[in-house]
Amino acid sequence: MSTSATIATPIVSRAAGFSRADFESFLKSRREPNWLVARRQAAFDTYEQKLSEPLSPEEYKRVDLRAFQPARFAVGAAAPAPAQFETLLEKRAEFGGAVSHLDGHCVVARLDEKLAGRGVLFGSLAELLQTKRDLLEPHLMSRAVRADADRFAAWHAAFCTGGTVLYVPKNVAVEAPLYSLIGLSAAGAADFSHTLVILEDGASATLLEETGSATPANAGLHVGAVELLVGAGANLRYVQLQNWNQQVWHLGHQAGRVARDASLQWTVGGIGARLAHIHQEVTLDGPGASGEVNGVTFATNRQLLSYYTQQTHKAPSTRSDLLYKDVLRDEARVVWRGMIRVDPDAQKTDGYQRNDSLLLSADCRADAIPGLEIEADDVRCTHGATAGRVDAEQIFYCMCRGLSRYEAMHMIVEGFFHGVYDRIAVEAVRETLSHAVKRKLGIDR
Amino acid sequence: MSDFQKVATLDEISAGGRKSVVFDDRAVLVLRIGNDVYAVEDVCSHDGQPLTEGPVVGTAIECPRHGARFDVRNGRPLCMPAVEPIATYEVKIEGNDILLRGR
Repeated sequence: MSTSATIATPIVSRAAGFSRADFESFLKSRREPNWLVARRQAAFDTYEQKLSEPLSPEEYKRVDLRAFQPARFAVGAAAPAPAQFETLLEKRAEFGGAVSHLDGHCVVARLDEKLAGRGVLFGSLAELLQTKRDLLEPHLMSRAVRADADRFAAWHAAFCTGGTVLYVPKNVAVEAPLYSLIGLSAAGAADFSHTLVILEDGASATLLEETGSATPANAGLHVGAVELLVGAGANLRYVQLQNWNQQVWHLGHQAGRVARDASLQWTVGGIGARLAHIHQEVTLDGPGASGEVNGVTFATNRQLLSYYTQQTHKAPSTRSDLLYKDVLRDEARVVWRGMIRVDPDAQKTDGYQRNDSLLLSADCRADAIPGLEIEADDVRCTHGATAGRVDAEQIFYCMCRGLSRYEAMHMIVEGFFHGVYDRIAVEAVRETLSHAVKRKLGIDR
Repeated sequence: MSDFQKVATLDEISAGGRKSVVFDDRAVLVLRIGNDVYAVEDVCSHDGQPLTEGPVVGTAIECPRHGARFDVRNGRPLCMPAVEPIATYEVKIEGNDILLRGR
C-alpha cells in the first residue's frame, strides 16, 4: 500500500499579507515611537518562531483551521469610509463613553467630561500609548496576555492595530456603563484590536463591547486580545458580544487578572463568525478574589465556535464560577475545553465549571471537555457538562398548549439560555443577548 | 448544485497517492486508487479529526487514530467506532485536471 501523502500547506503560512516585508511596510505606515516599534519587532520574531512549531494539540486539536487562508486578509493603511452598523448594544443603555474602531482604525472616542475630570481614561489605545505611555506600558501585554503565549498572541502583538483602553484610578466608581465597538467593513479587512482595561484598587466599572460587520457577506479577520487587570477590592464587569457576520475568522486571546478581594464578572456571547477560537483565562491572584464567567453561544449553518477556558487559582480563599451554554443547529460545531487549575498554596478554593449544549439538528456537534488540575488538598472543585437534544415531551407539552412546533422549539431555546441570563447583572446585556438569539432563530427582526 | 471546480491535476497525485485540498471551504482529501480518483471529506465522523494520513485498503480509508473505516466511493462507515458517514464529492477528470462538485 502506498501512502505518498501531499500534506496541506502550514496552517498560517508566511504568504502575502503577513510576511516580514509586509510587517516592515506596516511599521512604516504607523510612524510609532521606537519603544513600540521594538516591541513589535520582538513579537514578529516570536511569531516567526512560533509558526515553525506546531500549535498545542490540547487547545487546537478540535479547531479545524485547514480552510483558513491568512493571505486573503490585510491590514488597511487608511481608515475606511464610514459604514453603517446595525449594532445590538449601542442603543440599549445610556453610556458614559464610547469608542469605536472600524477595520482597525479608531473612528469614535468619547468620554463623559465628569469622568475624565476624575482621572478616568477611555479611548484609543494607539493614541493613548503615545500620550500616556508611563501609565499604560507596564500593563500592556505583560501580566495578562503575553506575546509568547502562542502563535496567535504573537501575531496579534506584532500587527496590533489599536483598540480600546479603559483606565480607572484608585477608588473611582464609574457608574454608567461604557461602550466599545469593533467593526469590520471592507472585504478582506483585518483587525488586530486590543482591549486593555486597568482598574486600580477599589475602582469599579462596566464595559460592554461588541463586534460587528457592516455587511453580511464581506469576509474579515480578527486577531484580538483582551486584557482585564482588576486591582485589589476593585469590581469589573466586562462583556464581549461577538456578532460578526458568518464570513469572519475570529482568533482571540483574552485574559483577566484579579487581585485580592476584587471581582470580575465576564460575559462572552458567541453569535457570529465563520470560525471563532477564544482562549479565555481568569487568574485569581489574591485571597478573596472572585471570577464569574458566563458564556452564551448560538451556532448555526457551518459555524465552528471554540472556547478554551482556564480558571487559575493562585491564592487561598478564591472563587471561580464558569457557566457556558451553547445551542447548535444545522451543521454547526461548538467546542469547549475548560480547565480549573489550583496552585499548591490556593487552599479553600471554590471552583466550578459547567457547560450545557442543546442540539437542534442531527448534523451539529458539540465537544465539551472539562478538566481539573489540583495541587492543593483542601478545596472544593466541581465540574460538569451536558449535551442533549430537545426533549420531545417538552415539545408535545407546548403543542398541547396551542403553540406550533416552531414556537415551542424557540421557547425551549429561550428557556435553556435563561439559566445563564439570570447570572448577568447588566439588564441591557440580558436583553441584548436574548434579542440576538431570537433574531438568529428568525422570530424577532 | 454548484459547478465543478478544479482542485488538482492528475500528475500531482501518483497512483495510490493523495492530496489535501480545500473545496467549498472544507478540507477534502483527493485519493487516486488505481485508475480512479475519489474525493472525501477529510474529517473522521467519529472524532472530528483529519483522515489525511489514514491508510487505504481497497476502496476504504482507515482513520489513523481509532481504526474506523469508510468506503471512499460513498462515504459509508464500514466498521466501529464510526457510525455516521462522511461526505463524498463527485469527481470529473478533464484532460489532466481533477474537478470536484458537491453531491
